[in-house]
Amino acid sequence: MFIILVYDVGEKRVAKVLKICRKYLTWVQNSVFEGEITESAYKKLKLELKRAIVEDEDSVIFYILRTIKYSDREMLGRKKGGEEIFL
Amino acid sequence: MKKAIYIFSSGELKRKDNTLYLETEDRKNYIPVENTSEIYIFGEVNINKRFLEFASQNQIIIHFFNHYDYYVGSFYPREFLNSGYMILKQAEYYLDKEKRLTIAREFVRGAVKNILQVIRYYINRGKDLVKIDERIRELEGRIDDFNEIDELMAIEGNIRECYYSSFDKILQNQDFKFCKRTTRPPKNNLNSLISFGNSMIYTIVLSEIYKTHLDPRIGFLHATNFRRFTLNLDVAEIFKPIIVDRVILTLIGRKVITKDDFEQDSEGLIIKEKAKREFIKELEEKLSTTFKHRQIGKNVSYRRLIRLELYKLEKHLMGEQEYSAFVAGW
Repeated sequence: MFIILVYDVGEKRVAKVLKICRKYLTWVQNSVFEGEITESAYKKLKLELKRAIVEDEDSVIFYILRTIKYSDREMLGRKKGGEEIFL
Repeated sequence: MKKAIYIFSSGELKRKDNTLYLETEDRKNYIPVENTSEIYIFGEVNINKRFLEFASQNQIIIHFFNHYDYYVGSFYPREFLNSGYMILKQAEYYLDKEKRLTIAREFVRGAVKNILQVIRYYINRGKDLVKIDERIRELEGRIDDFNEIDELMAIEGNIRECYYSSFDKILQNQDFKFCKRTTRPPKNNLNSLISFGNSMIYTIVLSEIYKTHLDPRIGFLHATNFRRFTLNLDVAEIFKPIIVDRVILTLIGRKVITKDDFEQDSEGLIIKEKAKREFIKELEEKLSTTFKHRQIGKNVSYRRLIRLELYKLEKHLMGEQEYSAFVAGW
């Protein structure tokens, strides 16, 4: 499946959350990640994030798309990040 | 699905914040470690032990290619699927001449059937390949007559030569003449594309072998030796025509790759980076294309198909089910 992750967490925990997300997904812009992920990796990611955030203050949202076949992605402005298989 | 990453730029690849990190002159990239299955390195990349340890931990294979795109080798992490039983079985089937021949023959038969499938596609599109088709079929009929591996290899070579000569008729492109198969270094554009494609499929099959209990060091058609992995060469034979060759024919046919994409260097032909990227893009697309598999009735990708082929081989070695090579139905 394909997920889009956005987070809004306290300043102290931003770096921590960022690092966890980088392991599983591709960075797109500040506080936004996206990418193809397996069910099990998704579970692991959620577990890790749960440990890192303070549930009363922070929030993380996952938009889950079973397939991106019928979706489109448009952009305005400069490209900041995103997936690439060629580096 | 985990993804393969291709690195063309030069820089430093390391472990950072528990994930993969590539720093080049103009960019910093984090590569999601949990979503990476293998890394292909074409550029000049610095690596340290800490990085290799981390890759091994995460079961990521790293394939290296040199300046001329020759396969240099792989960092094949410590086997995580360790099965002494399977290694013994592989060795048993290798040492017993009859058993080895049965498997080797099946690889050749699969390869030839898939070659014929490619030829048939172009016959249906009005290319004059009937003679070549007949010749290959005639050679195919003789596979069972041979009782030596060397002879089997030879007939396979003959068939492939005959088959490659059909590329001229299929492409009808002056810039991509086949002439004759040359390697190390390939002497013309078409040959260098074939070589590049073949080394790609060898490593792709190797990556899939890593995910099974099989040992890549023991091949059946290609003789096991002290130098290199051979099982991946065997299995790749089956998939070369339907994966690599189709990609080559499409790219040249669509003029995505043209004669301007090659450069003569003192030691041989070099494919320019842009063309390599196009090639890999098309190859990746092909590998992720899914189709309905007849036996299992599910949608599988070509990459998955390679793995299924290895599972069939495992079953054969364990005496559960006779191995028969995959033959494309289209």
